[in-house]
Amino acid sequence: MEQFFQQLTNGLAVGGIYALIALGYTMVYGVLKLINFAHGDLFTIGAYLGLTLLTSLALTDHVGGFLGIGVLALMVMGLVGIIGILLERIAYRPLRESPRLSAVVSALGASIFFQNAIMLVYGAKFYVYPQDLLPKSPVFIFGMPVPLMRILILVASVVMMISLYLFVQKTRIGTAIRAAAIDQGAARLMGIDVNRVIMIVFCIGPALGGVAGMMVGIYYGQINFTMGWNYGLKAFTAAILGGIGNIPGAMVGGLLLGVIEALGAAYISMAWKDAIAFVVLILILIVRPTGLLGERVAEKI
Amino acid sequence: MKKLLSLVAGLGLLLGTSALAADTVKIGLMGPMTGAWASEGQEMKQVVELLADELNQKGGLLGKQVAVISEDDAGDPRQASLAANRLATQGIVGVIGTYGSSITEATQNIYDEAGIIQVANGSTAIRLSEKGLANFFRTCPRDDEQGKVATATISKLGHKKIAILHDNTSYAKGLAEEAQANLKGLNIPVVFFDALTPGERDYNTILTKMKAAGPDFVFFTGYYPEAGLLLRQKKEMGWDVPFMGGDAVNNPELVKIAGAAATEGFLFLTPPLPKDLDTPEAKSFVAAFEKKFGSAPKSIYPVLAGDGFRVLAEAIKGANSVEPAKVSAFMKTALKDFPGLTGKISFNDKGDRIGEVYRVYQVNNQGDFVLQP
Repeated sequence: MEQFFQQLTNGLAVGGIYALIALGYTMVYGVLKLINFAHGDLFTIGAYLGLTLLTSLALTDHVGGFLGIGVLALMVMGLVGIIGILLERIAYRPLRESPRLSAVVSALGASIFFQNAIMLVYGAKFYVYPQDLLPKSPVFIFGMPVPLMRILILVASVVMMISLYLFVQKTRIGTAIRAAAIDQGAARLMGIDVNRVIMIVFCIGPALGGVAGMMVGIYYGQINFTMGWNYGLKAFTAAILGGIGNIPGAMVGGLLLGVIEALGAAYISMAWKDAIAFVVLILILIVRPTGLLGERVAEKI
Repeated sequence: MKKLLSLVAGLGLLLGTSALAADTVKIGLMGPMTGAWASEGQEMKQVVELLADELNQKGGLLGKQVAVISEDDAGDPRQASLAANRLATQGIVGVIGTYGSSITEATQNIYDEAGIIQVANGSTAIRLSEKGLANFFRTCPRDDEQGKVATATISKLGHKKIAILHDNTSYAKGLAEEAQANLKGLNIPVVFFDALTPGERDYNTILTKMKAAGPDFVFFTGYYPEAGLLLRQKKEMGWDVPFMGGDAVNNPELVKIAGAAATEGFLFLTPPLPKDLDTPEAKSFVAAFEKKFGSAPKSIYPVLAGDGFRVLAEAIKGANSVEPAKVSAFMKTALKDFPGLTGKISFNDKGDRIGEVYRVYQVNNQGDFVLQP
């Protein structure tokens, strides 16, 4: 039983990261019906920028671990958000009226561009985050040791997801995003600046992906320029599992995928971990083709 | 008219390149210049080009200059077969490389059909040389050799419950199965045998599962990025079981990824490191490399690629020919105890390197790799 709970927390920690990245896929898809394949690489950029800022500014030495990392996270979010906006301007906006396939090809091209650009700027080797940023001592939950970092990551993910949800549901801009997701033409007729909405979406999605990259860097220590592919693929799966285009769906899908992977690996077979996760995905899609929460808010973000 | 002109221009180009070809001896280099193993591939290129420059300064081969033609296999079988096809059409005598066994495997038949010699530098999977390919060689040892050394080390240390973990690549799985079979022969029980997925960040699931099996020694046969994460996460779990790795963990990045505290006491098997090479050839090579690139080679596999290049050059000289069949025959029969950078080199009929190459290393509390007696 102890092993079960241990594996459950293992799964939730991984799932929280998947969910955070999945939000970026789902927001962009909700508004543009475009799978932003470069999203995984924006995640990688976040990890690298986080490391660069962390080592060059030495903020954590001056203001302490928690505050320093908080400030850095905001900076990474801002920078990756700007890259996201540029990406949309350069790679997607000129193709907005073209067939959907052109945009997908452009997205794949952007992904390859980012991956190689990171390799050329930083080099092909692995980079390592400093190890002693935050206290390492475990927290005991029901007598079971759980690393503090893992709880912080899960909490930070959930807080960001909930704030995003409230932002989209309760604010004027959020309403505009939802309107553009339902019908861009009608939204434009209602006086909504759709280009601006798309810009905001391409700022928030990549910003969340970028901060997820930084969190992975801090928690696991090791980053390299190919890491975005794996996480991107899993997060994309999580978005589909929860119902792509749906924000709570991305959260549920991400956490669920993490837990399925962990439990599948623990109780069936480790080598078949990914296969088990994808079999579950296929089964869910057979029963609910729009994903777990896809129908409740169909076609909306 | 335009068409005719471009046709003439094209023909001119073709003639031009073939005229150039006659003046040089071309040797290919296929390595992972990009992708997850890019640090190995980029160093392979540095090593081989340095050795080619030195050779050219001494007058080259058969009175001609040596040209190294590099292609990137990206550590990916599909990319590798494209790279091999490109190299095969360029009139090379032989190709050096590559690092991963599954990558080499994807290219073996392409080179064989083109009649080109291949000297792999890091591909240790057993079956690569069991296919009866006449022109395949390797300067690295085979997994069965490594499996033997691994089992001998485990039984010498006296451990009784062994966990073996691989990553499903040809190399890691082959070594894991070899070690499992050998341990069974010695009646040492293997309590855990499974694979992880390389390229991920979180291996807590695997560690938790492995811990539940209660091993007193873990042998991980995969590569250093995963080994580093395993050690780090094992330390964070507070599990202090001893770990041993195969030769693919031999890279200083391992200590950076895991941190010195988590790697202390970690054992691994490898051909000797560049810094521990004691032949005069190796010393002058390491010095030349340091002079040009600022530091000694970080990994042994690029040095083994350098040995591949030197052996091939020696064989071309010895056979006095650039015809692959003659060069290959020379390497198998006439070339004995060639003073390589990594020790004496001879090949058997299968193209495997003969002789003991593996050593046991341990990481000390500073994160340095210390050769064990």
